[in-house]
Amino acid sequence: MGIIDFEGNVYSIINDTFVPEEGGLHPVMVKEQHLSNFKNTIQKALSQAELSIKDIDLIAFSQSPGLGHCLKIGAMVARMLSQLLNIPIVAVNHCIGHIEIGRLMCNIEDPLTLYVSGGNTIVSAFESARYQIFGETLDIPIGNMIDMFARDAGLAHPGGPKIEKLASRSKNYIPLPYVVKGMDLSFSGLYTAAKYLLESEDFGQKYKLNDLAYSLQENAFAMLTEVTERALAHTEKREVLLTGGVAANKRLQTMIEYISKEHNARFEVVPLKYAGDNGLMIAWAGILRYQTEGGHDISETQIKPKERMDNISIPWRS
Amino acid sequence: MNSEIKKEKLIRKGAEASLYYGHWFDKEVIFKYRIPKKYRIEELDKNIRSIRTLNEARALIKVKKYGINVPQVFEIDSGHSTIVMKYIPGHKLKDILSDLSQKKKEKIFLEIGRIISLLHQNGHIHGDITTSNILITEKEKIFLIDFGLHEYSDTTEDKSVDLHLFKRVLISSHGKDFKFCFSKFLEGYRGGYEKDRKDECEDIIRNISAVETRGRYVKKEDRFY
Repeated sequence: MGIIDFEGNVYSIINDTFVPEEGGLHPVMVKEQHLSNFKNTIQKALSQAELSIKDIDLIAFSQSPGLGHCLKIGAMVARMLSQLLNIPIVAVNHCIGHIEIGRLMCNIEDPLTLYVSGGNTIVSAFESARYQIFGETLDIPIGNMIDMFARDAGLAHPGGPKIEKLASRSKNYIPLPYVVKGMDLSFSGLYTAAKYLLESEDFGQKYKLNDLAYSLQENAFAMLTEVTERALAHTEKREVLLTGGVAANKRLQTMIEYISKEHNARFEVVPLKYAGDNGLMIAWAGILRYQTEGGHDISETQIKPKERMDNISIPWRS
Repeated sequence: MNSEIKKEKLIRKGAEASLYYGHWFDKEVIFKYRIPKKYRIEELDKNIRSIRTLNEARALIKVKKYGINVPQVFEIDSGHSTIVMKYIPGHKLKDILSDLSQKKKEKIFLEIGRIISLLHQNGHIHGDITTSNILITEKEKIFLIDFGLHEYSDTTEDKSVDLHLFKRVLISSHGKDFKFCFSKFLEGYRGGYEKDRKDECEDIIRNISAVETRGRYVKKEDRFY
């Protein structure tokens, strides 16, 4: 949850992330967590901002994409607040939220964005009134791939930071599949290959977990960097923005920074606090839409778990 | 290098390769040099570059046999990841598309469709069909370039992905022309298929939407499975 004003001044940002005791994110468990924590989170956000609920003028919520179970809770709370406080409501696309908060925080105008997280792997840039998707994963997202591999290796969720740490201790590259199709990527074969290596008899003998983590990262990030560079050459944008949870990875940052420099583009990583999923980005994207189009009618606030970002017009940039 | 072979000037720095204009025994040529990518580790980088160089050169030579206009290959140096090929003067379709008349667009996209259908019928996947990889010469001949991601495949799936990628480029870079151009492209593609392979062709086209729906965030009712 986040509170921000129309000039882009941040009042508060509260993250209450679900961490499973074991395994991955089970939708029903996440939903329960959302449901039991929303009240507390709203109070925390208000007290951090030193505001009363009556000071809120506009409510935005994440309408798409995501787990239907969880989107429903957010939509329900937003509708409730909108009706109780008699304030306008705006529905926001999660991915657009990421790009917009990145543009605000990094003071960047028209970037090519690489958005990498547990749920998304997207290379996007603004063209013909939309955030067009130039490249994306054809199967599983990068963060999900790393988390699944980490889980198979017996590491607890979230696996990304642990894999990064292990990878930094190896320089022994084990060849893995490298799948790039145009500007799209595929990670499922890479995951399966890494999983087989983990289960092989040679594991612990010819190579260790460090080496697998290193090879997995090198391979996957080189793929991401290659498609980002291709999109950069194609769109000829002057700025590159790296965002999403996986943006925290230093190795990926170095690689994307390298290609940005080569193409004389300015490179920015969204600060981790704003790069991972957060409420502030939804609030800010909500403000942008509200300023150009006004609020949504309650009947327009049904959730859209499968909505693609490139289906949505961006009136504030047109 | 022999004195008869001269790299003269850098004409394009792409994402993957640098193109140099020059001469190779009196012939005007392009040197396509796959640049080492410092962002990836050397082992991975060397492997990718040499495989793609060989792959592209082989593909260019094979594809030419079907009467598809591609630059002729003169020399391959996989150790330095360089291909020497004939220089084709012309414009990228990407740069001129919006200035073309509707009639010319129709003609060009019908022809591109026919060319890609020829590739596919012979088991070749271009792998990166974009408007940057199609050259139009003064005489309006259409050249297909950049076979770096070429694959051999005869499956419906791979062919559909090939078409899907082209569709995506048209949507993202040429939104206004997408509908018209892609429908003409498909018309050309269908027309190019041999009569007794029409079913295969329809399968490929139908499967494009299956490929799309496999992507992220597609509404349930639009899904194929």
